[in-house]
Amino acid sequence: MEFMYATKEQFERLVDFKGAREYHLSKSRKKKDKRMSLSEAIAEYVKDGDILAETGFSYVRSPIQAYFEIIRQKKKNMVSIGSPMSNTSYLMTMGCVYAIHLSYIGVEMRGNDKNFARAIKTKQAEILSIWSHGSMALGFKAAQLGAPFIAAKQLLGSDMLKYNPYVKVIENPVGLDKSEPVVIIPALFPDVCIIHVQKADRYGNAVIEGPAVNDIALAAACRKVIITAEKIVPEMTIRELGNACIPFWYVDAVVELPYGALPGCCPGCYYWAREWWEWLVRVGTPKQENVDDIMRYWVFECKDQFDFIEKLGGIRFIDQATRLMEAAQANIDDSLVSFDYQEVIPKWD
Amino acid sequence: MSKVAPPNPLEMLAYNIAQMIEDDQIVYVGTGLPMVGAILAKKTHAPNITLVYESGGQDPLEGQMPWSVGCPFTYRKSPAVLEMAVSFGQCAIGYVDIAFQGGAQIDMYGNVNTSVIGSYENLKSILPGSGGGNDIGSLTQKSVLVGLQTPDRFPARVDFITTPGYLDGGDSREKAGLMGGPIAVVTQVGIYDFEPVTKRMRIKALNPGMSVEIAQACTGFELLVPDEVPFIEPPSDEVLEILRKEVDPRGVFIKMPAR
Repeated sequence: MEFMYATKEQFERLVDFKGAREYHLSKSRKKKDKRMSLSEAIAEYVKDGDILAETGFSYVRSPIQAYFEIIRQKKKNMVSIGSPMSNTSYLMTMGCVYAIHLSYIGVEMRGNDKNFARAIKTKQAEILSIWSHGSMALGFKAAQLGAPFIAAKQLLGSDMLKYNPYVKVIENPVGLDKSEPVVIIPALFPDVCIIHVQKADRYGNAVIEGPAVNDIALAAACRKVIITAEKIVPEMTIRELGNACIPFWYVDAVVELPYGALPGCCPGCYYWAREWWEWLVRVGTPKQENVDDIMRYWVFECKDQFDFIEKLGGIRFIDQATRLMEAAQANIDDSLVSFDYQEVIPKWD
Repeated sequence: MSKVAPPNPLEMLAYNIAQMIEDDQIVYVGTGLPMVGAILAKKTHAPNITLVYESGGQDPLEGQMPWSVGCPFTYRKSPAVLEMAVSFGQCAIGYVDIAFQGGAQIDMYGNVNTSVIGSYENLKSILPGSGGGNDIGSLTQKSVLVGLQTPDRFPARVDFITTPGYLDGGDSREKAGLMGGPIAVVTQVGIYDFEPVTKRMRIKALNPGMSVEIAQACTGFELLVPDEVPFIEPPSDEVLEILRKEVDPRGVFIKMPAR
């Protein structure tokens, strides 16, 4: 394979089953206190050239404050993967990510992401392979299951097959119908993921509330795992709950990071900063200078999530975001809660 | 005379989506107008449908319109949520009855493009990518395509097949190893289906005020036209009131954009 930026080694590392196994074998098993600051965790475990897997669901329980720290630390030459992977948009235009395994970059009905379009058009970043959400999810799942590949029924007949050098169509050798086409999807092993959770203990045992999306699989698949948590709870709390979905031995670093998913939402905690996203999509993406402006104000001029919250409106914002989430989850009487908000900027496309 | 204003084209679109859904079905819901249609169906003729979402939300308690497919309203007091791979797996193993998909381009065989206009080598514009579209359209028993119909958006052949419909027509979808398939296309003009043998798009019924000529003028290929083209009865005032006041009160999807 010839790529503009990515190396052959970076391309192959994603499906290097043995390499990932060797890496996992070399990790410390010690059940130790893994807490550190966000900047320490990103400095230590996210390296230039890493394959970064996006977690959560674009802007639901995604470690967005950690992505901002990646931008502040000016990481570079990274390859991004994830289903979905909407935060990769600004990681590309901020120069951190130079190649992607594409499933979906966008913000649903809020229009096409011009940032993403520009990054590809102006060759700030390149596409290495193209996937659907489900086929990529199966690649992560195969890795978690320890299966070298999974045979699947999506992707067949689509043009994505021509743009995905990792997958292969074969006739099902074990099916009742031996001529039935299936797609072979290899187990996918990214280098690092950051998973934002509601609760974790100091060792890394983590509890996810709401949809886990691909995160349980990614915690197993990735060589390195950073947990950012709304709350660090005593180990006994996790044991009593009995529903941790990520065991401590997968985890390299634990960061106490309340509001770490802002400006996205975190189930059980807070609703989106919806205006922020619309501002980003409609104003922040048409030109590189707009992105630079937005990132200067919201990322470089914020040392942490609390500075960010002050800019969103401080305690009033937090109170409202918390209340909206409680109402959305039907945990409070929502008769006095309004989900109305002002879309200041008109939708252009 | 009725005091309720007649439906605009987007409201007709939402209503026609809703009519595709039968009570007791399990419905895979994407974002935008399909979500409006599914919620309208649940609040009117199909109160016992179960909504499932690709982010993992399943069978949520009724609430507001979700802001995203990952919104807490997609798993509001859900008995359980599923991982993404498992959520799509349900479509493949036959636990999902119907799914909806939008696209920037839909062609005469129901192939959908949400990837790129032009080509990746020669970009005109780049779209978000498949997301769950390919999975839903490849695996679900019945899928319904939703789009705004113009000759550009309804070309003879999509620039990129993100989600296969009937590929080159005939039995090519089956030969490719795919299951299920699109049963209809719903647009602001009306409803289309696919001729059983050639799998070419065919007019099924048109919205009030539309005509075969208008339908053809909005299409980049020759539509098949049955001997009799039925017209769709507009929704009752009661249904329109539910759509406007309860389903999308802010008019995010059903209000016509200002000119």
